Amino acid sequence: MGEVLIKAEGVSKKFAKDLKKSLYYGMVDVFNNVIGRQQSKALRNQEFWAVNGISFEVKRGECLGLIGHNGAGKSTLLKMLNGLISPDEGTITMKGKIGALIELGAGFNPILTGRENIYNNAAVIGFSKDAIDANLENIIAFSELEEFIDMPVKNYSSGMKVRLGFAIAAQMEPDILIIDEVLAVGDLGFRVKCMNRINEMLKNTAVIFVSHAMSQVTTICNKAMLMEHGKNDFYGNDVGLAVEKYFIKFDTTGEQTIGDGSVKLRLFNIIENNKIVDDCFIENGDDLKVIFELETDSAIEQLKFRLGIFNIEYKLLAEIDSQTVNFKGTVVNGKIVVSAVFKGVYLKSGKYSIHLHVSDAISEKRLLRQSNVKDFMVKPTITVGADFLLASEWENQSN
Amino acid sequence: METRVYSNSNKYSIKDILWSSIKGYKSSFYLAKQLAKRDVKAQYRQSVLGVFWALVPVLMSAFVWILLQMSGAIQLSATAIPYPLFVLVGTTVWSIFGECLTMSITTVNANIGIITKINFEKEALITLGFLKLMFNLLIKFALIVVFMLYFQVVPTTSLLFFLPLLLITMLFFISIGILITPLGVLYGDISRLIPVILQLLMYVTPVLYMMPKEGFLKTIMSINPLTYFIIDLRNSLTGMPIEHWTFWLGTLCVTLLLSILAMIVYRVSIPIITERMSS
Repeated sequence: MGEVLIKAEGVSKKFAKDLKKSLYYGMVDVFNNVIGRQQSKALRNQEFWAVNGISFEVKRGECLGLIGHNGAGKSTLLKMLNGLISPDEGTITMKGKIGALIELGAGFNPILTGRENIYNNAAVIGFSKDAIDANLENIIAFSELEEFIDMPVKNYSSGMKVRLGFAIAAQMEPDILIIDEVLAVGDLGFRVKCMNRINEMLKNTAVIFVSHAMSQVTTICNKAMLMEHGKNDFYGNDVGLAVEKYFIKFDTTGEQTIGDGSVKLRLFNIIENNKIVDDCFIENGDDLKVIFELETDSAIEQLKFRLGIFNIEYKLLAEIDSQTVNFKGTVVNGKIVVSAVFKGVYLKSGKYSIHLHVSDAISEKRLLRQSNVKDFMVKPTITVGADFLLASEWENQSN
Repeated sequence: METRVYSNSNKYSIKDILWSSIKGYKSSFYLAKQLAKRDVKAQYRQSVLGVFWALVPVLMSAFVWILLQMSGAIQLSATAIPYPLFVLVGTTVWSIFGECLTMSITTVNANIGIITKINFEKEALITLGFLKLMFNLLIKFALIVVFMLYFQVVPTTSLLFFLPLLLITMLFFISIGILITPLGVLYGDISRLIPVILQLLMYVTPVLYMMPKEGFLKTIMSINPLTYFIIDLRNSLTGMPIEHWTFWLGTLCVTLLLSILAMIVYRVSIPIITERMSS
């Protein structure tokens, strides 16, 4: 690892919630700064700390993943790192040339052609005329827009604009790279191309990477900081742990019930070692046992069940169904208790929630669909990009 | 390796700020040129009449006054040069005042998208505004040249002073414009107020008519410093002697001070504007 290129020490920034107040404070700040009067550090009316006492450092070759919920202060911190706004407290030291993949295609004018806009955008992000001339062919080739390069940019699709923007930014050779949520757009082929280029850049730069896609964070970063309400909630080299903490913060308890009311869920629990647990943590590949109790109308006799596992991004990853083993639940006195086991939960680390579907075993009528009945965590093992980390066997065959 | 330190330093040295401002203007010149090219190209690509639109406002107001004077609807004292030329030069110079004054607010507002997202030398925007202003001016002066040829007005040696005086004037108004930019970008009121005030001031400045020999209007016009700007700029262009040398010397000193102040205020206030305008 090389020298420290980015260093933040106790960085804080105030923001005003109210627009009129914000403008007024802006005016006061301009005046005070011009005449060089010391400002009070205290919060003024309607102000809050958008970023509060953040410290970290990033060396050359390191990539810091900055994660946190919307409004946690990530973007404000990035703006300070990028030198757009200055911190109210603390110091940021940046060594070397800074490149930012933040707003791709800044300075594009819709009426002008792609080729003309290459010059505009490249000039805005700091290229000299010679550098643009030298790189023009590379940029066009990287963007794969040869055919459309002399067409006005307003006729481009949003994906094409991002392509062109990234192709220009990809020519930078910075010491420090700031990446903010730019990889979410474009088609798959181009995203792969972008990731490859970023991986190339990673080797010789200190990178700050902001993303809500945790799979990207775990693949790219070797350091992470979790922010909440402007504060540092976790900072360290264990990216997996940071991601786990990030997932725990999500409130997945918002249950949603769809059904005709003939079946009601009374209890739903996870069982570990014959005991009900509130916060369930399992290892990758463990079994997961659940038990639940339903109340039904008197007319219902037999039920069948399906349980689904959703990840934090609300993607259905796995299901179990009682029909696969020809199980039917029999209702006695309008009540039924059922247990079920998920055999071998080979999910990657993270937070998951369980959804329950109940149907009448005879009429096949769906009676109840309830989401987020319970959640559980899979403990981190090694970092994987895919949703599943399967069991495997390996043997040396070369003798 | 270049090291940047960002912190909350209210204490800055005027020397450092000025130095970085000058460096900013120098290093961002290519960017400014590129953006000016972008704006001018984009402006004319989607237009058939093109540069004609730069002339319309000046031509229209000149035309109205020429008509009023010719029809005898208003009685104006005779001007030393043909009245149409007098009015055209007057309104052109007057339009420069307004454009210079609002230039930096307009440019900053038009580029607020990149200001809040990209770190570049923000001085580029002032250069950008200036280049666009000069482009528009060239078109307007081409029209004046046509008028002068038509009325056979021959410039004298005082024409040599036209460019320096024009530059002082522009710098003076641009500096004032930059000084009110923080306020003008934060609050929309300023950019609405400026045209209204200018409209009012135009009638107490010898733009459309000569300064009267006596009376109430003469008193106001002699107090109004804009009077001297307009009289001498017009004189130097149309072959008349420059009348107010001491005024120009004073203005030059004031302008130098104002422009230094403007450089400092602009550089100090841009991060704060960015902070407040960020979406």
